[in-house]
Amino acid sequence: MPEMETIKGIEAITMHNGWAMAVTGAMIVITGLSVLSFIISKLHKVIAFLENKQKKTTEEPATKNSQPTLAEIFSDDPGETARNCQILTTELGNSFELCSLFSIFHRHNLPHPHITIRNLRSAGFLVPQKDGKFHWKSL
Amino acid sequence: MELFSEFIKNTGYYLVAADLRYLIMITVGILFCYLSIAKRYEPLLLLPIGFGVIIGNIPFFKGFGLGIYEDNSVLHYLYFGVTTGLYPSIVFLGLGAMTDFTSMLSRPKLMLLGAAAQMGIYFTLLSALALGFTPREAGSIAIIGGADGPTSIFLTAKLAPHLIGSVAIAAYSYMALIPIIQPPIMRLLTTEKERCIHMPEDDRVVSRKELLFFPIVGTLLCCFLAPASIPLLGPFFFGNLMKVSGVVDRLAKTASSSIIDTATIFLGFTVGASTQADYFLKPESLKIFFLGAVAFSIATASGVTFAKIMNLFLEKKINPLLGAAGVSAVPGSAREVHLVGQKADPSNYLLMHAMACNASGVIGSAICAGILWSFMM
Repeated sequence: MPEMETIKGIEAITMHNGWAMAVTGAMIVITGLSVLSFIISKLHKVIAFLENKQKKTTEEPATKNSQPTLAEIFSDDPGETARNCQILTTELGNSFELCSLFSIFHRHNLPHPHITIRNLRSAGFLVPQKDGKFHWKSL
Repeated sequence: MELFSEFIKNTGYYLVAADLRYLIMITVGILFCYLSIAKRYEPLLLLPIGFGVIIGNIPFFKGFGLGIYEDNSVLHYLYFGVTTGLYPSIVFLGLGAMTDFTSMLSRPKLMLLGAAAQMGIYFTLLSALALGFTPREAGSIAIIGGADGPTSIFLTAKLAPHLIGSVAIAAYSYMALIPIIQPPIMRLLTTEKERCIHMPEDDRVVSRKELLFFPIVGTLLCCFLAPASIPLLGPFFFGNLMKVSGVVDRLAKTASSSIIDTATIFLGFTVGASTQADYFLKPESLKIFFLGAVAFSIATASGVTFAKIMNLFLEKKINPLLGAAGVSAVPGSAREVHLVGQKADPSNYLLMHAMACNASGVIGSAICAGILWSFMM
């Protein structure tokens, strides 16, 4: 039986569906990487959007507590600082011990609680009572 | 005396005289070792391959269970990792754990160059069919244009296992010859002015979350598109996720060092050994080498040309040399792009941008392998 001759050239490409394979393959890889490129170009925006959304939901309860920020508490005006500290310590009532005040400052991670208390005392915002307790000067 | 005579007849010295093709291949093996040691051409690949070529071409008496193509031989068992596509998958795992996608994520449009450079694959597919190769053989030869050794071996193992040796040697040889093949094509297709185009240093800062999302998004998108690329892209993105997650540093470190090194040793060595002269030295091998060169050159040219086409529409022009890094030869082609750019303008730093194209090229060639495999199923 004579050996079958191998088909070559354009005829071979057409016979094996080569044109379709090449065009389709090229289209798929270009489309695939273009889509991936598009997605990663938007990825940071999607992440930023999700993060903002999450931030908002975590910020909401904070607004309810209306806790002032550090910058708000420690303003340049000592009177303002005393007013803000007073808001933080409403739970202590009218008179309180300095150690309770220190605990609250500490709980709120306020920097240098000792110095702050000393300054508030020396400025007369913290008024000593005879029983060893203190109360806020009326502002 | 008769025993001694029989022994002499079984030695390689006696057998090589009967078939000088083995000597030719041993010379090729020594040449590869020389290039890797003296010239430092891709030593991690060429040295194991070169020594494998020497080992695989020591003539022996057939039937002793010694050769790589003989059942139950040690080499045959080691070769199992090649024929099943196991080693390429493991290499991709390590590659993923080594790859930093930051550069690519901050410049997503450069990914398109990685896609454009894959055109060499499809051009070679047509050329191989025209030269009389069967579709499965043509697909295996065409993937050389992806300039990715493990991908070429993987696809050839699936489509035309009898061509593994030729395809692998061609792929790795051309990867090693990047400094010789790519620069003339880059210079031919670009003007001096284009080569001097500076790229912005940092487009934007990539967050850790983006790096974490990318391997998952990439896996879902690419593997859904071409499921046949799962054995390559699955481990690749998994390796990358281990790296960027920061919670399995030990695993990522092992994947990017011991595991990939072990797989590379066995892959290179057994592929080299598979080039046994009586299997390898055929006219088809020469055709494969020729087509491989065509594939690689077309891939480089199509990347550069596509970058020039992109420049027609872009307000901020990109350096068209970057297109040449769209082939997935990491990091050889990126380095070459950088060097050619620096020759034109020493203050031009293209390396990080070229790495973005390179990373995209790795993904692109693996997708192409998946596409070709699915076409031939």
